Amino acid sequence: MNVRGWLVQLYPRSWRERYGEEFNALLEECLHTPLDMVDILFGALDAHLELSHEMNWRSMNMNNKLRTSILMVFAAYIAFIVAGMSIYGFADDSPFIPMMKTNLLLSISWRTIQAGAVMALAAIVIGGAPLAWTVIRRVFTSQRKDLQLLLVPGYAFLALVLYFGTMVYLSFTTAILNPPATSTAHGLMWGLISVFILGALASTVAVWKVVSNTDVEQEAFPILGKDIKIKVYEFAFTPAIVATISMIGMFIASIIWFWQAFSARPDLLATHQGPMMTDTRVALTLTLILMAGAVVTSCSGLIRGRSSQKTA
Amino acid sequence: MNLADFGRFSDPALLILSSLADGSKHGYAMMSDIETITGVRLGPGTLYGALARLEASGLIKALPSKDRRRPYQLTAKGIGALREQLALLQKLASTGLKRLASA
Repeated sequence: MNVRGWLVQLYPRSWRERYGEEFNALLEECLHTPLDMVDILFGALDAHLELSHEMNWRSMNMNNKLRTSILMVFAAYIAFIVAGMSIYGFADDSPFIPMMKTNLLLSISWRTIQAGAVMALAAIVIGGAPLAWTVIRRVFTSQRKDLQLLLVPGYAFLALVLYFGTMVYLSFTTAILNPPATSTAHGLMWGLISVFILGALASTVAVWKVVSNTDVEQEAFPILGKDIKIKVYEFAFTPAIVATISMIGMFIASIIWFWQAFSARPDLLATHQGPMMTDTRVALTLTLILMAGAVVTSCSGLIRGRSSQKTA
Repeated sequence: MNLADFGRFSDPALLILSSLADGSKHGYAMMSDIETITGVRLGPGTLYGALARLEASGLIKALPSKDRRRPYQLTAKGIGALREQLALLQKLASTGLKRLASA
């Protein structure tokens, strides 16, 4: 297969069935620069994210926009969980824990992060439950192949457990992970973090794709013997706002916490105080960038969802 | 129909509608035409992202394929949407020019 063929293959199957031949013919004439390839990569990504399962491709209705809005908040939340684990890694078994007893701002910011985490989790569970229930129910009522993507979070978790198990095995059988940490130990720790992040990323993409391809607007739920109809995306919108506000609060609290913690102990900046003994500065920067990206994504999702409700 | 609903594809969508205003064209002919009249070269991914949206919205329709190339043409709805967008741009341009002249 030539480059053009590979590029066309990047698009979803139903898209290729409709546009593949003419798109390939177009590429024969106009595929000139690397920028064209980048443009096609973005086009394919966009097609995967927005594709509805039916051939009524990209009907730009309110439901689709609201669905994308909710999925953006969900993806942002997953990114925030990764960042949250990193913050926990900074605090766990660190000199900052006893400092929180004497430093009021450090303590308040930490409590705010904890409260925000609980609030965001509750919002995601409440808002996402009807949608998750609907999608999972479709697993048992349809034979769609892409529903197997729902197994990706399970595989990701399994990979994490296997990697962690290997590290535990190595710690018992070798001295690789004994202090002082060597470059091999740091490599293994970064490997664990990478498996966790890649797993979270793959799981989010898989869930996004399955939900995008599931044409759901309203679903009946048997509650107290009655069938209650719920518009799952509209129902999820208010919890999505709560989750976003929680993430904004946690982001601000995290900045304050880092500022207070490392103002008191600037010497730790040059050490490996990050999660899993990672370099403090690198881990701190990546954590804040991830949090900021998640907040921006979540806010963008809400704006998109709000605009869809206005135009409905 | 508001092209703003097309997000990042709203500008390419307007260029495509304008290109099809004088008759049906296939993808490469549209790209060349748009480059000639505006100097903007649409990438293939952007072109087909916008084309798919326009077709799904009923603003353009596909004609039978010729030698693997499929021409597209404006629908009545597409003509209406194009008129509306161009009128808006015309109003914007004339307002902007008037303000510049009086500045």
